[in-house]
Amino acid sequence: MSGKENMQTRLQREIGELSSSINSLIDSFRKLKAPLVESHQKVPQATSQLDKISEQTEAAAHRMLDMIEKITQREEEVIRGLGEVRALVGGQQDQHVVSLVTTIEEKANTNLNDTYTIMDALQFQDITSQQMNHAAALLEEIETKLQHILSVVGADTAPDVNRPSIKKTRAYDPHADLSDKRTQQADIDSLFSHEKAK
Amino acid sequence: MRRIIINTLKRAGFNDVIEASDGKDALAKMKVEQVNFVITDWNMPEMDGLTFVTTVRGMDEFKNLPILMVTTRSVKDDILEAMKAGVNNYIVKPFTPETLKAKIDQVLGG
Repeated sequence: MSGKENMQTRLQREIGELSSSINSLIDSFRKLKAPLVESHQKVPQATSQLDKISEQTEAAAHRMLDMIEKITQREEEVIRGLGEVRALVGGQQDQHVVSLVTTIEEKANTNLNDTYTIMDALQFQDITSQQMNHAAALLEEIETKLQHILSVVGADTAPDVNRPSIKKTRAYDPHADLSDKRTQQADIDSLFSHEKAK
Repeated sequence: MRRIIINTLKRAGFNDVIEASDGKDALAKMKVEQVNFVITDWNMPEMDGLTFVTTVRGMDEFKNLPILMVTTRSVKDDILEAMKAGVNNYIVKPFTPETLKAKIDQVLGG
């Protein structure tokens, strides 16, 4: 076999292998298409689910705040009323009534402080809402990337007519978390003092 | 979060509170209302807190207005950026009512 024939055989073999690789690649793309399309369709469902959780949690937090504000107002009225009772019975020597007023006052003040604690604890909603917005933004990013991949493999999907055409504006801190911030606050205070002193 | 802050402010004796949904809304309200100090978040729709503070500081009438930022952002670079924009003090969420009161006192006390 001449050198030329040898080269030709090698070339044919290389082309054959290349063709087989391309066919295998096309086959892989075909197999990928269906799961890619499915994922692309499921991602918006996950985003929408997160938005719903966020909205429902916010609505629930507002309902709780409505109730807390009403309870707070009632307790303040009770405390004011008890103050008036104390003034009325103040001159009397009925220790039982005075002691009873004091006990009810203490309980009303405890209730009031507890409502403030519950109200402060509701800050969780603001933070979890930011965390969910961050997760939703990441899902939207994945959806866009999947759309690009699908268009490259020639599997563009029709847009969902039920989806709003304008994307939700998301204001969030990607690092928002619920941990106790007292130490961090102390560090921030020290940073502020340091920078101001410059 | 706004309702929690407003309730905390009322407990601290600040009964005349003007509420705004974001920086843009706050700027509109500041043009028609008398404002003695501002509490702002960072992450807000339409106009974020940083843009709001920068805009306010660019207006002659609000150059010395005390501004307190209350936000989840606690990365050092963010805090430095907020300081550069012109905030007078900074609280990281979640906060305690005591911290809010202390910072308001600091901001109003100079």
